[in-house]
Amino acid sequence: MPGPLELLTAATMLIGTFLTVVACVGLLRFPDVYCRMHAAGKAGTLGVSFMILATMIAFAPHESWVPVRGALAIFFQFLTTPAATHILARASYVSDYRLDERTAVDDLKAFLPSRPHETYGRE
Amino acid sequence: MSPFLHLVSIACLAALFAGGALCIHRVAIGPSAADRAVALDTLTMVFIGVICILSVLWSSALYFDAVWILTLVGYLGSLAVARYLEKGRLF
Repeated sequence: MPGPLELLTAATMLIGTFLTVVACVGLLRFPDVYCRMHAAGKAGTLGVSFMILATMIAFAPHESWVPVRGALAIFFQFLTTPAATHILARASYVSDYRLDERTAVDDLKAFLPSRPHETYGRE
Repeated sequence: MSPFLHLVSIACLAALFAGGALCIHRVAIGPSAADRAVALDTLTMVFIGVICILSVLWSSALYFDAVWILTLVGYLGSLAVARYLEKGRLF
């Protein structure tokens, strides 16, 4: 019978794997680039945090420096990944990537005009 | 390490490899550069998860430094692609 620490490690590891795989499936199935960013930016960040949490729990009794660096890693993950996703979404809106035709509301249109004359890095 | 945690680690590794294959498929077929940047960002997250599970599986905390570094620099790729898309140049 596994101890409570191992059960906690396994549970957080399973949750993190589930969230990361959900992000990958959403990346493949969603219709346009903004929906894909939504899937990757949210579920991916939380999945990575749960995975780091599992490692922290597993190593906490033996090596005390792992939880410190794990907390720092989770902090930096929450700091960097949403910002990068936001900047990428803004850049792809400005450089006129089309929204999916089923999109109902485009609130950004009034604030952020897209520039269709620039064709850098596009198909 | 108990057989239970070993089994869970192997199952999570298999699931993560399947997710990484989906990401690579999106990189291959992605219609635009932003799709590919998002897919590569997600692939970095899958790598972080794989390294975490491997460090638990092999009981070696040394691999955890790689996780720390990857969370710090993993976003720079999509940031560079975003700059390139928005301004047409990197700097």
